[in-house]
Amino acid sequence: MIEFRNVSKSYTSGLEAVHDASFSIEKGEFAFLVGSSGSGKSTLIKLILKEEEPTSGNIIINGKDTTFLKPSRIPYLRRSMGIVFQDFRLLPDKTVYDNVAFAMHVVRATPKHIRRQVPLVLSQVGLAEKAKVYPNELSGGEQQRVALARAIVNNPSMLIADEPTGNLDPNTAWDIMELLNEINLRGTTVVVATHAKDIVDKMNKRVIRIDQGNIVRDEKGGYDGEI
Amino acid sequence: MKYNSFGYLIGEGFRSVAKQKKMTSASIIIMCATMFIFGAFYLIGENINFIMKQVESQQGMRVVIKEDATEDEISNMENKIRQINGVNQITFYSKEDALASVKEQLGDQKDIIAGYDVDNPFPDSYFVTLTDLNLNNEVQEQIKKLDGVEEITASNDTISSLATIAQGIQMATLGLLKILIIISIFIISYTIKLTVYARRREISIMKYVGATNGFIRGPFIVEGIIIGVVSAIITLAIVGLAYNSVVTSILSSSVIQMMNITLYNFSDIFVKLLMVYLILGTGIGIVGSIISMRKYLKV
Repeated sequence: MIEFRNVSKSYTSGLEAVHDASFSIEKGEFAFLVGSSGSGKSTLIKLILKEEEPTSGNIIINGKDTTFLKPSRIPYLRRSMGIVFQDFRLLPDKTVYDNVAFAMHVVRATPKHIRRQVPLVLSQVGLAEKAKVYPNELSGGEQQRVALARAIVNNPSMLIADEPTGNLDPNTAWDIMELLNEINLRGTTVVVATHAKDIVDKMNKRVIRIDQGNIVRDEKGGYDGEI
Repeated sequence: MKYNSFGYLIGEGFRSVAKQKKMTSASIIIMCATMFIFGAFYLIGENINFIMKQVESQQGMRVVIKEDATEDEISNMENKIRQINGVNQITFYSKEDALASVKEQLGDQKDIIAGYDVDNPFPDSYFVTLTDLNLNNEVQEQIKKLDGVEEITASNDTISSLATIAQGIQMATLGLLKILIIISIFIISYTIKLTVYARRREISIMKYVGATNGFIRGPFIVEGIIIGVVSAIITLAIVGLAYNSVVTSILSSSVIQMMNITLYNFSDIFVKLLMVYLILGTGIGIVGSIISMRKYLKV
């Protein structure tokens, strides 16, 4: 599903953010990407999204090498992945419903399909009765649920979450993590970049640890090692 | 799941215009101002051309026909002159016409030419006007070669200086219009850049959800077109009112009346100006929004 083959990434400043990274995340897997700030975590996510180009090596997504993907094809690559950010990134002037429907308009879904799909996804994340509400009237946890609904509304084959619980209190964070787990159980590949130690320990999933650009650990277990 | 999202994009464009009232009205005011200046220069240019045409059509040459030319030769000559490139109109003046017009000019003193009715010394002639004063010399060359032409009388100096003036004015207005178009595009793209900046968050979300660049541009282009069309209509109304009052006062001045010159009515150029404004407005709107978005589409 996501495969890195000897991927390195240096920025023009000379900083090597990722060094010779090789790993493979299979279809239906749940993987944590852990590491302290500045470890290269965010660069890995950006490489998967093709927001950044690798300096060397190949990245294969859904069986296709994206290294030589034309810029005009990038939108279609991104439609195969749902993306969630630490800061939710909702549109403040659109209701919860419209924020989710927006992602469907973008991929040119029919109005009929949108009317069917949006309520379904909103009830899946437990926000069915908040459809008409604006983001600023919601709590942080609820906003992240909207972002999750928006990420999965087009049925992507994978979900990429960059620090999804970074702005949330521990209880809410755990709710979001359970929701991610639920989405994973329905067959979606989930990749979560985080440094929330307690959550990673509790989930006991595959952990890919990156430190100063190098992948130093890749195994099932907790944040710092096997449990 | 492919669906024509045209309606959605147009809706988003209108929604954005309605939501960002301050930004939109700022754009419209700036656009109206540039269009007004543009329109003023355009109208001045059009009218100068119109005046030059009138002056040009009054200028011409008199082709004097030989005394012994037969009727056939005379009518033959008319056909040949008509075929020469650059000839606008050709009018025949018989000996009698010439005498009559001299009589009219002399008025009370027509006694001087008493007896001319019996033995008319004036020749038959053609008055030839030109489509383009620059062709004056060539046309004269060709007419001289024809049979039955006695001589050509024309005020060549007036014609050539008029031609130079006309050319100069055309070049100047064209140059000014070009500069104004570039300035307009610059101003509008800067204004739309502000709108795009205000919505950069939305654009980056669209990119992450997998929107194509065309889809993202859609609403902004619609916005540009709306601003363009609204500005065009407002400016047209203002320019129309201003033009009519200015033209009325110009035409009532004695100098213009002496020169026997008319100016365009606003209704004559209304359709032309409307087209120019609509093309200009939508064009500047589209080009402006594309220029101002380039930076934000690179995520």
